[in-house]
Amino acid sequence: MKTTFATALAFGVSLSPAFAQELTVLTAGDQNMVDYVNEYLGPLFEAEHPGVTVRAVGTGPGDAGSQKILERFEAQAGANASVWDTDVAVVHEKFAGPMVTAGYLAAYRDAITTGSLVTRANADMALGAEVKGYVMPMFNSQTALAYNPAMVETPPQSYDALKAWAAEHPGQFGYNGIKGGASGVSFVMGWIYAYGEGDAAKLMNGPFEEAETGKWDKAFDELAAFTKNATLTAGNAGTLDMLAQGEIAIGPVWVDMFYSWKANGQLPEDFRLVLPEPGMPGQPMHYVIPEKAPNADLARAFVELATSPKVQAEGIVERFNWYPGIDAGHVQAELPAETWDKLFTDVTPDQLAARGKPFPIAPYNIAILEAYERHLAQ
Amino acid sequence: MTRLLWIPRGIGLGLLAFLIFGPLLNLLLWAFAEKWFYPNAFPSDWGFSYWGRVFSPRGAAWEALGNSLTVALLTVALSLMLSIPAGYALARLPLPAKALILLSFLIPQAFPNLTVYVNIARIFYQFGLNGTIAGVVIVHTVHGLVLSVWIATAAFSAVPRDGEEAARSMGAGPFRAFRDVTLPQALPGLLAAAIFVFLESLDEFTGSYFVGAPDVQMLPLTLFTAAGGGNYQIASITALLLLVPSIGFMLLVERFLKADVLARVGK
Amino acid sequence: MPSPALPRHRSALPGLLLVAPALAMVLVFFVLPLAASVTGAFATEEGRSLANFAKIADLYLPDILFTLLVIGLSTLLIAVFSLAIAGYLTLGRNPRAVALLRWLYRWPLFIPFIVTAQVLRTFLAKNGMLNGGLELVGLVDPATASNWLDGRAIVFAFVWKQTPFVTLLVAGAMTSLDRGTIEAALNMGASRLRTLWDIVTPQVAGTLMTGLILSIVTMMSVLSVPMMLNATAPTTITADIAFRINAYGDYGVANALGVVSLLMTSGFAILYLRLGLKERT
Repeated sequence: MKTTFATALAFGVSLSPAFAQELTVLTAGDQNMVDYVNEYLGPLFEAEHPGVTVRAVGTGPGDAGSQKILERFEAQAGANASVWDTDVAVVHEKFAGPMVTAGYLAAYRDAITTGSLVTRANADMALGAEVKGYVMPMFNSQTALAYNPAMVETPPQSYDALKAWAAEHPGQFGYNGIKGGASGVSFVMGWIYAYGEGDAAKLMNGPFEEAETGKWDKAFDELAAFTKNATLTAGNAGTLDMLAQGEIAIGPVWVDMFYSWKANGQLPEDFRLVLPEPGMPGQPMHYVIPEKAPNADLARAFVELATSPKVQAEGIVERFNWYPGIDAGHVQAELPAETWDKLFTDVTPDQLAARGKPFPIAPYNIAILEAYERHLAQ
Repeated sequence: MTRLLWIPRGIGLGLLAFLIFGPLLNLLLWAFAEKWFYPNAFPSDWGFSYWGRVFSPRGAAWEALGNSLTVALLTVALSLMLSIPAGYALARLPLPAKALILLSFLIPQAFPNLTVYVNIARIFYQFGLNGTIAGVVIVHTVHGLVLSVWIATAAFSAVPRDGEEAARSMGAGPFRAFRDVTLPQALPGLLAAAIFVFLESLDEFTGSYFVGAPDVQMLPLTLFTAAGGGNYQIASITALLLLVPSIGFMLLVERFLKADVLARVGK
Repeated sequence: MPSPALPRHRSALPGLLLVAPALAMVLVFFVLPLAASVTGAFATEEGRSLANFAKIADLYLPDILFTLLVIGLSTLLIAVFSLAIAGYLTLGRNPRAVALLRWLYRWPLFIPFIVTAQVLRTFLAKNGMLNGGLELVGLVDPATASNWLDGRAIVFAFVWKQTPFVTLLVAGAMTSLDRGTIEAALNMGASRLRTLWDIVTPQVAGTLMTGLILSIVTMMSVLSVPMMLNATAPTTITADIAFRINAYGDYGVANALGVVSLLMTSGFAILYLRLGLKERT
């Protein structure tokens, strides 16, 4: 047994590439996030820093991917590791707050030159938790309703219109509930913003009051009835897949995924987006650097490159059609007008400003999800 | 009358073939589909562009395949090393509470392992086992031990005792008698155990993630990311890649996977 | 105390020594971390309490029942199919059909769960191959067809993946049976179905139960299948555990769900032990 152990260890050592200068980037999200680092950012960074290898590791789509990064940090903090195994991580907004609170992250934003290019509020506050200085947004994402124009003649411009349309077309609206990814969660949050009897602004900005959580019963009863008439899909990708396969006509999706699927040829070219009133939530993905990152200097340089106007223009907007992380003005200047305008083909800048909402702050977020489970899972 | 029996037999076998190979055929189609939307019954564009992406120099598919294979083989080795003595003892030697001992190997499968692996990762960090092949091998071994111990026990109970006793009476030591007489007879059963442990290891995801990533990338992690993101092409190609060692191993050891070898499992 | 070196003594020591490394492995690398999880199930912000279990009773009872139903149905179907296939392999008269079946049934054994979930996701979709096949024989009308992606998909996946495993064990047990009694029954005019049920099945019941219990624990802990195939509520306990952790960062309820799941498998295991003991005595 001892010898096996020794062999196994020897194998482990000889197989795990132990370069002195290896930058490990953990990224939550879909395959395209891993590809983005592997195929685009990594080579770009390596060209500027000879001798450095960038290693991207995908931790899985959705909140689960970010949760796994959080757990890695927790495990290393719990083991009192002096040097962690992650240089840069890309996490969902929801997880930035807990990571800052737990003291896992380095405050690096002021130390990099691109730090001043971000002024949007969601780079300072994440679902009610202050994260200023600890995060740089990689890109901003938004949920919207994707639809198949062949099956939806007049796209619903509001939740009310959607309700009416869905009543006439049973089973044609599809969403992924709350357990299969954030696009479904986002649809539910939008529903509560629209039909909850409380104050939607309070849900987004706080403060948290227990009484507020009792004002959603009617909205959830309606949502339960609405859901009976809808098709449930398996995950964010499941909704897009069912759209592509003609099983549903309309459903909530992440705008960035929608465009990636189109670019990949996974969705027909003529599919469109609509952002209904009063609005649906969106969120940024954040770059964070652990306090105990093995190559902190390189990590900062990496994020600096990734949030530079040129990379944001070329990588985020042009390659993927994602909304930039740093302020739009800096990015727009780097791009020809038609490329920039492509971002807003379906959802105009005005609509985005008016109907693009943040997610509710963390305690409301949890309360809404549990209320959903209580009302709809039975 | 009996002549017409080929009809239900044919239908039955055909149905079974459809249910077994239908899904696999779907996998093959997706691996080569460039575009496939409703209402097309088959992909409208075929090609290899996704293969190029999976095997791109930075796509890490080769590394993941190598890691998955290494871990699976080492897991098989470690499992057998633990299960051969345990299985022999459980089959041959007097032991108190045999049933309970056998059942205790079920525990690692009986508790949903997500929360447990978080704790294991925490412990492994303290010993520097996290992010090493050795760490992943340990987790996989513990998970697959129930199969290897149970099947090894069955394999040893199927070997008649007289051979070993004869060898002992002729002056061979207990180890020698075991090695020369009992072990060769139990070998097919032990190889069957090896197959199941190998497959279990290739399939394992949660432990691989918590203990292995990011230093040790494994194929199921790649597959899960691609599948969760709805990239069926990449997921299907990765799945095919994962099938290569499975089926390769099967062809290699299939002749040992004879039914009678497993006859005594659970007795 | 008798010396362990003497071969014929009924000392348990050598046996225990040989089992010890494997047991230690399970103890150190699973039971200890598991203990932390179980204590975690009772930990709440207000100290130790049953609050996490109260929340389960409040939110997840339908899911627990659903899990029992899915596992129970899958187990039943696996038992039926594996007996049928193994039975045909043992009693089948047409050597070519037997050979074909033997070659055919094993394939899913070598397909990992995560791949199974992935392929079935497209196979069972509304416009997938299953509905396509059913349409072809006129069993399904394409206009009203719906997808299979709910509890049925999980059962399909479990049965698809686990039947070959149990069949392999059961067929193994069947080949080692005494052909004499079987032939005698057949010669006396018993149908093959009767022979399978009355003569063969009772003799392989132990092996069948072992295969089923191994399948049950496997199915209870598989996460990829419910996550990728089941879109609807209710869902399985494993999916709830993942959701509890991912959406709420709530290990308390997740651990408590783990304990519920452990109790369920223990229930199956005790049943198995009881039946096993009865048979041996």
